[in-house]
Amino acid sequence: MVRWELVKFKVERVSEGVFNSVINFETEILIPETRKAIVVIYDGRQFTIGGSELKQEYLVYEIKSKLERLLESSLIRELSKHSRKAEYRRGFSLRKIGVYAEGTLANLRYVYNDKFLEFGSVLIIPPYKDWNKLCKVPLTVETNAVSNIKSFYELLSEICRSAMRVHFEVITVNEILKLIGV
Amino acid sequence: MITIHCSNRTVQSFFIEVEVSQPLYIGGVPTRDLYLEKRPVEGYLYINGVRAKELSGGARYQLIEPTLFGYFDEICQLFTGNADIDIDDESYLPVSIQVNGKRIFKIERTGTVFSMSTELGLDDIRHISSRVESVFKVKIIPLLRSVGLYG
Repeated sequence: MVRWELVKFKVERVSEGVFNSVINFETEILIPETRKAIVVIYDGRQFTIGGSELKQEYLVYEIKSKLERLLESSLIRELSKHSRKAEYRRGFSLRKIGVYAEGTLANLRYVYNDKFLEFGSVLIIPPYKDWNKLCKVPLTVETNAVSNIKSFYELLSEICRSAMRVHFEVITVNEILKLIGV
Repeated sequence: MITIHCSNRTVQSFFIEVEVSQPLYIGGVPTRDLYLEKRPVEGYLYINGVRAKELSGGARYQLIEPTLFGYFDEICQLFTGNADIDIDDESYLPVSIQVNGKRIFKIERTGTVFSMSTELGLDDIRHISSRVESVFKVKIIPLLRSVGLYG
């Protein structure tokens, strides 16, 4: 039996105007042995783990900077090219998380305003050893950012061009989970 | 939509809808909306269900048949066994590939959402797609255009 299971991982930055933005983060870990869930929340002001505030400032700073790195993904930047509105939201999350013999697989979902790109299943824990593997394994891709087959294919190519960055984003997810203490 | 059926790396049949600016007279009727097809086993080009060589000016259509079928063979060489490929007729990129009855790639559109699933890696899909696109854009379409069967 695995020691813990990832149930949720979601980070989002909501902007109101140019200078006013808030990062929200939520992750949930399940301990199968005790059937207990640990919820980690950051609401832009306070960081709580299982309801207790995380007071070590250096830790909060480090987690926050890693969350921001996830929100600077080149795939979110790519989505922004398909949105005509000024930025009001960007996000990164893991969806359809499942624990299998080879590890934890999940879909990676990138959001910019009302546009999204989701693909998977990608090995999250542990990450693929070879970053290049992303485009060599069966995948599903879903998006509402394009309007025709040609631009959909361009987005598929962008996923492969971003394979190394995606790999580092998965590593960043692992690093955040380690900092949280799982 | 363009459909191609391949068997053992050779084209068995295909179906393409095209619109031409100069009408063809089929059964005495000027026709701009055409469908071009190769039927299984038969080695001929059909236009709106009529063998191309039987149409007015059909000799030039007959002349391109071997070259045209050879171009489709180039696409079929990408697949072993029986393959069915559906291709978007605007971009000439595949939207569905089925090999030996098993779907290995599919793009679907539901409202504003495009979704894709593949049993191959995206690298393989991109390789296949760019080959198909290139055969259409560089070979098939210019050949059809040269005899008035496209554009």
